[in-house]
Amino acid sequence: MATISAPLPGIQVSEEGKLRIGDYLKWSVDHKIIGVQYAVTALFFFIIGGALAMAIRWELLTPALDVAADGTAYNQFFTMHGTVMIFLWIIPMMAGFGNYLVPLMLGAKDMAFPWLNAFAFWLIPPAGVLMILGYFAGQAQAGWTAYPPLSTMFSDGDGQTMWAIAIHLLGASSILGALNFIVTIRNMRPEGMGYFQMPLFVWAMLATSIIIVMATPFLAGGLTLLILDRVAGTAFFNPAQGGDVLLWQNVFWFYSHPAVYIMVLPGFGMLSEVLSVHARKNVFGYRAIALSSMAIALVGFTVWAHHMFTSLTPSLRIPFMVTSMIIAVPTGIKIFSWIGTIWGGKIRFNSAMLFGLGFLSMFVIGGISGVMLAAVPFDLHVHDTYFVVSHFHFVLYGGSVLAIYAGIYHWWPKVTGTLLNESMGKWHFWLTYVSFFFTFFPMHLLGMLGMPRRVAVYAPEFQTLNSIVSFASFVLGISTFILLYNMVYSLIKRKQAGPNPWRALTLEWATSSPPPAHNFHGDPVPYKNPYGYGTEAAYRYLEAQEAELGKSWPNLEEEPARALKPSSSPAGD
Amino acid sequence: MTQQISPMPERKLTRDEVIALKNKRTLVTVFQISWIMVFVCLAVVAIQIRGTSGPLPALNAIQVIVPLGATLALLGSVWTAWQSLKAIQADQRARFFVFWRYTLVLGGAFILVMLAVMAFNPYGDLLQYSQIFRVMVVYHALHALVIGAWMVQVYRNAAQGAYGSSDAWGVEAGAKLWYFVVIAWVLFYAVLYVF
Ligand code: HEM
Ligand SMILES: [Cu+2]
Repeated sequence: MATISAPLPGIQVSEEGKLRIGDYLKWSVDHKIIGVQYAVTALFFFIIGGALAMAIRWELLTPALDVAADGTAYNQFFTMHGTVMIFLWIIPMMAGFGNYLVPLMLGAKDMAFPWLNAFAFWLIPPAGVLMILGYFAGQAQAGWTAYPPLSTMFSDGDGQTMWAIAIHLLGASSILGALNFIVTIRNMRPEGMGYFQMPLFVWAMLATSIIIVMATPFLAGGLTLLILDRVAGTAFFNPAQGGDVLLWQNVFWFYSHPAVYIMVLPGFGMLSEVLSVHARKNVFGYRAIALSSMAIALVGFTVWAHHMFTSLTPSLRIPFMVTSMIIAVPTGIKIFSWIGTIWGGKIRFNSAMLFGLGFLSMFVIGGISGVMLAAVPFDLHVHDTYFVVSHFHFVLYGGSVLAIYAGIYHWWPKVTGTLLNESMGKWHFWLTYVSFFFTFFPMHLLGMLGMPRRVAVYAPEFQTLNSIVSFASFVLGISTFILLYNMVYSLIKRKQAGPNPWRALTLEWATSSPPPAHNFHGDPVPYKNPYGYGTEAAYRYLEAQEAELGKSWPNLEEEPARALKPSSSPAGD
Repeated sequence: MTQQISPMPERKLTRDEVIALKNKRTLVTVFQISWIMVFVCLAVVAIQIRGTSGPLPALNAIQVIVPLGATLALLGSVWTAWQSLKAIQADQRARFFVFWRYTLVLGGAFILVMLAVMAFNPYGDLLQYSQIFRVMVVYHALHALVIGAWMVQVYRNAAQGAYGSSDAWGVEAGAKLWYFVVIAWVLFYAVLYVF
């Protein structure tokens, strides 16, 4: 079995398995280094976005203005919070997982275009800096959706222009990355791996990349006009001169509804891997999961106006309501397939699995509130209230972020070669899970009671619920540091993981941890079904792999009995 | 999508080189499909603006014929670019130079004429429509100029002896990106002048 890969100009062949900090701080064309660069950059911005969230919740502890100097300052908080979380945390983090994992899962040496890959990453730090420097020029304050005339006539500061340019750069980065994924997945699969033998994470990255290359250029077009309105005196969106503010909303949502799937589809892919590996069971409905991603990618382009029900021509409401309800179907198919996957499995309740299950449970709530919002009669009442804020945090935090956590616990041993501490992982999970719920669930009630979103002061009767939300959010913020501490602790302790600690069948585990510069020691042989757990053949395959690559935790060294609870020992594979 | 234009030359390539070439071809194709969406976006915006801005002024004969002529020149450049690509792949260098020169001249003429048309913007009375008209022409011209610059570079490389039947990628990329410029313009032309 041969791997296929293009020549790799300029790749540094460093010492086998040795991680050097310096390699991560400079230009590199190794997809593994780039993947880590994406992830670390994204985590940095996650902390910034999180700090802003804390500021928002502190402000909302009481009905009066407490933290923000005025309404404008508050507008800047949530504008930067939303933008940073979406464009500098979730999207780059998912790109990081994709970069690290896709070539490995395909048994390839690198992405199709290593140089382009590095270039796409290096657009992100300057964009992030530009975004944040806006603080000194009158920070952006029109929300992450940047609706004109707020983002044009009512945002004097240059920060709003810098915001738009930064988003432009981030969009370009995202498109270049996606082009690379599509070419890599199409052309660099090893012999014997057809599309329907690919790991589901690779399918998810393919669907995501297709959405990115088709939708993000629309954002580029819209932003060009917005920037021209701000700096060149055009009046596309200026109602005072006959411009049309709804034009922006249409263009923006034509990009941004698909973009919500850009943020969550990779998470779906990670979930399929995590659930199957740690339930020791074949994925239920492989084709249904793979193809429903494609269905989502397609239908996702037909629902954008559900964000504009209140401003839309009334006759168009019903068609968009119908398409929005239809898009819940492929999502539902996935949910049932995942339940089928863990059903009757030998579940290991480790941190990765817990976060996987956390995703599953919380994302369902977000999906249901999504369908509620898709119902026009309901949406007309709760549009622009905290109900919407609750909905999208259930899908983006309960979905994307919990998936990212599951992914971190699952692939950390591969990336670093060391194990994360499981007890800390469980603390992290339970604190996050519970405080997440109490941060975002009461927002449904606040919304239905009529509390609008994007306000710094509110009616006194909303105080009790808001205080609950704020206190829970502080716990949520603090719980994140358990993960960060765990990461540092793991890197210092260096408890060895070995090549395949979870006894997984996908190819990224068929090499040492971390993998050598060109990923594999020879040509890796993919197992015929990447999820064929619980069979005699899979057991033999894993045995042969262990004989070749060496042992992994928990057999690597004698573990204290505590760490070897029955549920965490590899069994039946 | 990645058609083999001639089966002969690639026989000499190594396996890795074949894949590298395949990758580059896929990249250009997917890039074209992706980036055309910006032009679609601007075209849709133009249609929308026309819907709200009331009837457009009637164009006089010159205002119709000049852009039509430029567009026909651009369409002609598709054929010349294709001829020169075929020529270099068959190692007919002289023929390649002739047709590549035609392509550059036709493309250059198109850009100049359209920029002039834009300068004499016929929609001055309709604020948003005249602005989107300018944006579209300039946005397109920027792409034409950048890709045109690459095509000039290809010409200079070829003059130094680069490219041949076994290595025509630079020419192929230039030609395919030029097709992109043409398709993008046909879309704009249809929106601005036909429908
Ligand atoms: C089951 C499928 C879903 C349906 C039917 C749905 C429906 C909706 C609707 C109708 C709105 C607009 C509410 C309003 O502003 O009045 C909305 C808002 C939103 N949805 Fe969903 N949604 C779904 C899934 C998702 C997913 C998976 C994500 C992200 C991963 C997501 C992210 C968002 C965001 C970010 C907003 C708010 C945007 C804003 O105004 O700031 N949705 N959703
Ligand atoms: Cu939506």
